[in-house]
Amino acid sequence: MNIKKIMAMALSMTMAAGILGSCGGSDDDSGSGKSGGSGSASADGKIMKQISDIDTASLKGKTITLYTHGGNRVLGEEKKDADGNTYRDESYAYLKHLAEKFEQEYEIHVDLQVNSTEDDIKPLLQTQDPSIDIYTSPNFSIEEWQQYAEPYATVEEAKEYYGDYATTMYNDGTYIYALMPAKTYNNAVVYNEETIKKVGYDSIPTTQAEFEEMCTKLREAGIDPIAMHRIENWPLSTINDFANYVAGTNDAYPAMLKSDTPFSESEPMGKTIKMYTDWKSRGFFEADIYTDFGVAMDSVGNGNAAMMLFGAWVVPQIQGRVPEGGDPASIKFAPAPDFGNGQYVMASAADSYAIAKGSDDKEAARLFIEYISESAQYLADSGYIANKKGVDPVVPDLYKIIDDAVAAGTCKVLYAYATDDNSMHNEEVLSEAALLEDVKYVGNLFDSIDVTKDPDWSAYDAQVEKQNAAYKEARDFLGYSWK
Amino acid sequence: MSNETKLYKVIRYVFLIAACIFVIIPLVPLIFMAFKTGAEYSSTSVLEPPKNFLNTYNFAYAIRVGKLGRAFIYTAIILTISLFFQVTMTAMVAYVLHRFDFMFKKAVKIMFTLTMFIPVVATQNLIFRMMYAVGLVNTMWSVIILYSGVGIVGIYIMLNQLDNISREIDEAAMIDGAGYYYTFLHIIFPLMKPACTTMIIINGIGLYNDFYIPNLYLNRDVQTFTVALYKFFGSMSTPFEIVAAAIIIGMIPIMIVFIFLQKYIYNGLAGSVKM
Repeated sequence: MNIKKIMAMALSMTMAAGILGSCGGSDDDSGSGKSGGSGSASADGKIMKQISDIDTASLKGKTITLYTHGGNRVLGEEKKDADGNTYRDESYAYLKHLAEKFEQEYEIHVDLQVNSTEDDIKPLLQTQDPSIDIYTSPNFSIEEWQQYAEPYATVEEAKEYYGDYATTMYNDGTYIYALMPAKTYNNAVVYNEETIKKVGYDSIPTTQAEFEEMCTKLREAGIDPIAMHRIENWPLSTINDFANYVAGTNDAYPAMLKSDTPFSESEPMGKTIKMYTDWKSRGFFEADIYTDFGVAMDSVGNGNAAMMLFGAWVVPQIQGRVPEGGDPASIKFAPAPDFGNGQYVMASAADSYAIAKGSDDKEAARLFIEYISESAQYLADSGYIANKKGVDPVVPDLYKIIDDAVAAGTCKVLYAYATDDNSMHNEEVLSEAALLEDVKYVGNLFDSIDVTKDPDWSAYDAQVEKQNAAYKEARDFLGYSWK
Repeated sequence: MSNETKLYKVIRYVFLIAACIFVIIPLVPLIFMAFKTGAEYSSTSVLEPPKNFLNTYNFAYAIRVGKLGRAFIYTAIILTISLFFQVTMTAMVAYVLHRFDFMFKKAVKIMFTLTMFIPVVATQNLIFRMMYAVGLVNTMWSVIILYSGVGIVGIYIMLNQLDNISREIDEAAMIDGAGYYYTFLHIIFPLMKPACTTMIIINGIGLYNDFYIPNLYLNRDVQTFTVALYKFFGSMSTPFEIVAAAIIIGMIPIMIVFIFLQKYIYNGLAGSVKM
């Protein structure tokens, strides 16, 4: 047998082993996915249970493990001491405190583990390791939710307790895979009141022109108007909500399907991306936009930057980072300015807790999640509002400005768009056109402007044309249209 | 000294200095960062020196909160056991491949070489499931087993070393009544010391710095240094000044090993690899 034959045989064996390995994995996965939750359904076919439906006495002495990406609620908020050194303030470890309270009441220990990303817990979820009972990481596809999480409730069951917010929880149309026990206002303007006062403002202007004028004054005063903190890209995904404000509807993102030219300025997504890019060219973002999120929060907390375009949930974290002697209450949350169609704020279900499919203690896990859903103070401390029917919500002060504006009729609430065929098809089209990441993070369009010299928009316009063509081609190829 | 020689010397030094700068420049911000306060890190350029080079807060915080001491102990245990098995098994394989003729010898050699072309990531799904099935995930033994396999590069280093060890030594031992096992263990293996040292250092540094395998198999109770370091990285923010201090702490053992064993590395490479 010559060397060529040996190599060919060895390569074939290697490839076969690889293929068999992959097959083994997928078989296992399919077996564990889309169970429909029958394993935990009660006799009447209901999946969702309340605390009163659970035999808590039988769970005494158990230990459940919760993995969360929200390290600040377990370890405490990262703060700076009088010398400027970083430390964790454990008084902000709200989830840890809640777990201790839960243990006192039910004699069930909750072991809290912090993970940085979804990838850290994926191997455990894929193998259905019983050592993981609850997890909070939100960035999974629907397929992954089906594969890793025990169905928590049917959408209809959840509607009974959470109204229409149930449709904005992670679901596949039939089952909800992670309970989102709170509601929140999504991306708008998080700002430091003391900082904008330095240029003569005591609130966020309500029109785009006034907002941009304030940004110009901040820049002239040597203050970064908006902290973009783009190092991980995900902060720019907030642009989707701003596109809704530009459109005055909640469907700007899925409605890309309606257009042959979704990236053009005439369309909400295109107009919003151009607006952000224009702000970049005018110096409204920090000079080094690739900073860490923690640095960005610090810069708003200490007044080096005035604002972030972000969700309300970040307010308590920035408040925790206000230096000694500063007033945490100066960190506030306001609606985005009127971009031509009125002032809006997005509302959606918030926070998420899923029961891992491999958990050996699903009842105890469910009990803790239900306990969370009824802990209004914990949810308020986390920057959310308890949303379950029958639970008295504690509304954090940070919502006051929005609530007042809504009550006065100057700001309207848009409810997050529920996952449907349009949103899924749009995602598929973007993926097929290799634009999904780019749209999510504004990528190539945002980067096409050279801010080191007088902006030349021809590169931007060329990129718009390119993306429009790619989108249309992919949409036509897949045969999707707006339904 | 002729002008040509002088010019050559100048060019040589320019290149050497440039190479040093390329190596040192990334380390400078790291060292600066490690001595900065969190507030300084957020508000100054990475190339700006810290106000106080005596600020050891970040180092103490990294050791205490990151439990680096415990991580070092686990790392040392894992490396010691893994390298012991890796070196002895690699030496045995190399000895057999070098000294004995048997059917499919070439094929076996080729098979060993082919494994170099299979990315570790490609097989991990299957291997993780196997490790999980036998209950080794989250124990040191999963990583030790994975690290203890025969090192392919090590085989070639040792094969080259064996080229320099005369077969007559084996034959003399056999005449004196030594068996294969005795010959290998008491005569050949000690003569392979330079190659073994080279392999220990090169693979040891690789394993010490490895993140993928320990993070996959040991992300909870047992942690190696790299996994403990990763725990400082949050999903939303990371205190980079503390990470920098932890990285410098992590460099110390490697630097100590290198300082004490550098002559073996050079001797080992020069003696065992045909250069």
